[in-house]
Amino acid sequence: MKISLKSIKALNYLYETGFDPYDYTPEEIIQRIGLQLGAVESVEDRREWYQDAVAVKVVECVKHPNADKLSLCKVDDGGVHQHVDRDENGHVQVVCGAPNVSEGIFAVWLPPQSIVPSSRNDEQPFELDARELRGEMSNGMLASPKELALSDEHAGIMVLEDDGRYQDLEAGTPLYKLLDVDDVIIDLENKMFTHRPDCFGELGVARELSGIFGQQFSSPEWYKTPTIDNRTLATKKDSLPISTENYAADKVPRFMLQSVAGVEFGKSSYQAQLQLIKVGIKPINEIVDWTNYFMHMSGQPLHAYDYDKVAKLSSGEHAVVNTRMAEEGETLKLLNGKEITLTSDDIVIATDGKVIGLAGVMGGSETEVDENTKNIIIECGTFDMYAIRRTSMRHGLFTEAVTRFNKGQSPLQNDKVLSKITDWACGFAKGTLASPMYDSSNFDIQADNLNHVTVKLNFINSRLGTSLTFSEVKTMLENVEFIASYHHDDSPEDDPTMIVSAPFWRMDISIPEDIVEEVGRLYGYQNVPVVLPTRTTKPAPLNELRKYKTTLRDILTKIGANEVLTYSFVHGNLLKNVGINPDEASYHIRNAISPDLQYYRPSTLPSLLSKVNQNIRAYEGQPNNDFALFELGKAHVKGHTDSDEPSIPAQYRRISYVRAADNKTSKEYSNEAYYSVKSVIDAITNNQADYLELDTNSHPITSPFQLGRSAVVEIDGVVIGVVGEFRRDVAKSLKLPEYCAGFELDIELLKKHASLPTYSKLSQYPSTFQDITFEVDKDVQWGSLDRLLRAELLVADAEDNLIYNVSAGDIYIPESSDKKRVTFRVELASHVKTLQSSEVNSILDNIAKVAHERLEATRI
Amino acid sequence: MIDKKIDEARHEIRAQLEKTDAPREVLKSPLIKELYSLLPQLSQDEKAEAGKKINDFKNEILALVEEATTEHTSEVVHTLDVTAPWSPSSSTGEYDYLLPSSQGSIHPLTQEIEFICDIYRRMGFVVEESREIDDDYHMFTSLNFPEDHPARDDYDTFMTDEGLVAPAHTSTMQNRVLKKYAANLEKNEPIAVIVPDRVFRNEDLDATHEHTFYQIEGVFVGKNITVGNLIATLSAFMNEYFGQELKTKLQPFYFPFTEPSFEFAIERPEILRKDDSEEQKWLELLGCGMIHPNVLREAGLDPEVYSGFAWGNGIERMVMMKHGIEDVRHFESANLKFLRQF
Repeated sequence: MKISLKSIKALNYLYETGFDPYDYTPEEIIQRIGLQLGAVESVEDRREWYQDAVAVKVVECVKHPNADKLSLCKVDDGGVHQHVDRDENGHVQVVCGAPNVSEGIFAVWLPPQSIVPSSRNDEQPFELDARELRGEMSNGMLASPKELALSDEHAGIMVLEDDGRYQDLEAGTPLYKLLDVDDVIIDLENKMFTHRPDCFGELGVARELSGIFGQQFSSPEWYKTPTIDNRTLATKKDSLPISTENYAADKVPRFMLQSVAGVEFGKSSYQAQLQLIKVGIKPINEIVDWTNYFMHMSGQPLHAYDYDKVAKLSSGEHAVVNTRMAEEGETLKLLNGKEITLTSDDIVIATDGKVIGLAGVMGGSETEVDENTKNIIIECGTFDMYAIRRTSMRHGLFTEAVTRFNKGQSPLQNDKVLSKITDWACGFAKGTLASPMYDSSNFDIQADNLNHVTVKLNFINSRLGTSLTFSEVKTMLENVEFIASYHHDDSPEDDPTMIVSAPFWRMDISIPEDIVEEVGRLYGYQNVPVVLPTRTTKPAPLNELRKYKTTLRDILTKIGANEVLTYSFVHGNLLKNVGINPDEASYHIRNAISPDLQYYRPSTLPSLLSKVNQNIRAYEGQPNNDFALFELGKAHVKGHTDSDEPSIPAQYRRISYVRAADNKTSKEYSNEAYYSVKSVIDAITNNQADYLELDTNSHPITSPFQLGRSAVVEIDGVVIGVVGEFRRDVAKSLKLPEYCAGFELDIELLKKHASLPTYSKLSQYPSTFQDITFEVDKDVQWGSLDRLLRAELLVADAEDNLIYNVSAGDIYIPESSDKKRVTFRVELASHVKTLQSSEVNSILDNIAKVAHERLEATRI
Repeated sequence: MIDKKIDEARHEIRAQLEKTDAPREVLKSPLIKELYSLLPQLSQDEKAEAGKKINDFKNEILALVEEATTEHTSEVVHTLDVTAPWSPSSSTGEYDYLLPSSQGSIHPLTQEIEFICDIYRRMGFVVEESREIDDDYHMFTSLNFPEDHPARDDYDTFMTDEGLVAPAHTSTMQNRVLKKYAANLEKNEPIAVIVPDRVFRNEDLDATHEHTFYQIEGVFVGKNITVGNLIATLSAFMNEYFGQELKTKLQPFYFPFTEPSFEFAIERPEILRKDDSEEQKWLELLGCGMIHPNVLREAGLDPEVYSGFAWGNGIERMVMMKHGIEDVRHFESANLKFLRQF
């Protein structure tokens, strides 16, 4: 929402609002807006722009001797400009290329060394000089309205008499004395006003500013009470009657129309155009411009129709203007030239035959006011904010009217604004009222429609942390035209209650908190006492899961891995590449901006895999191109619902890890990638994990893994996740190096089942270390020997109160043998004595015996 | 003629399948497309028949590809003893080639979140996690965003086919945490929670815009909690975070779930200023406000008795300022050259 300080000043001049922004500096105003109203998006300070622009009389105008399209002019600037060459009469020579330059006119001259106003916001503003043009000296320029940043017009220079208002022009008059050009335009962020429809009018913003500066504001009389005197008169005339029905009344709280006959109008004056241009509205013609002017002043959008065009589209002789919901598939050609196809959720304005406007959004082109229009209908309605927003989104139409209607304009201002603009049409545009004021509403307009809020003074103070008095609050509220009174029936001495009545334009006031906000803002949050809340010394509970994640991160970082964060959404192709059918496994994003974000990931490891190749390449040719990436992220599988909240998907907290080395680096490695990754799981599970051969790729989490080279990870029989190397097709499509393996584990299950290390007392007696080697069939898993060894030692421990420790030794398969030899190193000690070697041997012998029985293992 | 062409194509594609490691690639072969391109030249009758033949052929190829893919994946692999600590070939028995531990790194966003959480924990806040997929009720309705309200325009929300949403703010947890800790109030203790987590906005990527980013939401509810408490709490955090006393500024704003609502700015620490301009003087850091009574009510708390404040701010910008990071896209790039600097 752009506001012009000159316009706000003009409101005070016209309507005695009591607030003149020029009582303060623009800097003060901008600062106070920031503190007490909302964010200032930008400021365009035009005060310096027109210092040198002056009205000049073209006293002589002849064809340029060396150029067909240029004129050689002598201008009279009243001698005000210094430092310029003059002829013997004191006139200045300017070459001008505009077709409309002629002797005797008053034009606007920008002298040498002045900056062309329209270039002020450019990176390099254009500074004029005195220079030769085709052999003739030209000093500065005669400017077009566009060059002066006053309109888009560039067909010719600005001719001041064109407005017909400058009869007594004197050469040398600065432009800023003729027009309100030296303005300050402040662009306020719209977001702040989402609940403040009134602030989409300059009147509303002026009122707020007045309140912020602690001044009483008075809205114009016509805005508070409509001028209805001459309406009765008009009713009798009724020369251009309108037949109207509000068929969409539940979505159209109020719909008002009035026709005006015999309007005379043309292009708006420079001053009027300027008022619109400064705030970003394009001038069209006087009728349209004034509807826009009143909209920008009051916040109430208006629309003007050509009465005769509407009548022609109606079945009878007179115009029919109804509201209704559109029929599915109906079409409408809009003012912007586009044709749209309507849906039954769009409110439209229609004759009894044809749709003529998209209600609250944009008018239709068939009934637009043009230069031949004689009779007009002005519409002033209020439309359901939600319906307008849907329509605007559906058709991609974001107009000034939408910006205002989708905030919920007050239906109580329609009669006021319509009266004012039809008055204007009768006065300035020389029309006559030609119909009664039609008024259809879905509420009782006679009833008390204002919002009254009962609020205790203490409530206001307790929410703000202030100690304001009743009269301070009353004054602040009444400055912006609320009425605040003492509630006599419910006001104990120390706790007065007030009844606050909001003015009709304040649609946002309904609960005590609304009054708190109003008072806080008007008082100024910069003035509120700043005090920390009191708190108990009770410690806040710890989030155990977060803490556990921190532990996992620390472990993995210490072993040289890098934490990454990748998107929660993935491209369908990535899932397909790892063998997951995205449509079965994944929630699909229906409005993704990019195909890279099509699906929620059903497991987190594929994202990591997709980042391997880029990093291999980043260190290409470097020695030791070997790294590990890990991520703690969430996975969601389609159809799995949350156990606590069944209406939403279950979230799986996962830790995924991938290790990769380029082929040159891994050539030196004697071990498979699988084992290095498995050792990481041993580290984070305190060696509690069991590994079972993976036998399926059918779950999303298992999908990328190569059967035969991957394992299911279990702790105490509970599946925690999967570890392994990747299928060849996966490796191929994701360009994984040969040395590459990874895992994906469930963090919650890990935390639950991987118990913390337990302490066993140290022995006072020396330990014995002894290797034990078994020869077993090649297919016997190392893990079964390991388990057996530990189980038997546990039995021995129970009997003899031992301390034991097993660590892995050699694993050796003699060439072309179907046997393998597995060595373990066993550490044994006792809590009660020094173990004799015979005792140690007997324990190991016993283990060997059991190993032979169960696994056909031979001790070597 | 069409039969001959199909035979040729079959021969060629089978040959390709023999050779390739990625059977699916074969489906992209121009040969199949070429067959279809023959159709327009045929008469109406021929067209129908030929069309059917080509379709049959295509299905045949699909089946072959499926078969080849299965074969491919179940192709004889050298299986491992997945229970072993290392492979028999590695006779040394070492976990070979450990990574240098100096190479490890924690993501800068994680580090920042931990740094921030640590301060809030010391201030008495409990840390909760958010969700990455949620329903409209928690994202909007429970936070006093009516259906079709223009305030929703500011949240470009990703939606699934089912109508679930990718939360655009961690306030999606507000209703849940208010309920979860409601019992605190009966014990005369406040509800004090922060929720740092991932959020999503359906935005185009550029150096300053990410569709995935991190946010911290905070709520504090108790008896007689005031705007002054809000300012004091956030200031206390900022002073600790920046390690110096900084001036603060509240700018009125609008959010449906707080009233009044503000943007909270601090006086930009000198070290972070580019020049002396007014713009550089203030650093807008977060949105905040007094929790709207409808939001409290929706969580079962009586707004007549309790009041509180909530705030939310992004993490990326803080980290970018701290380290002079020029492009927000680095964070989710998984680029080791970026990550290893932290």
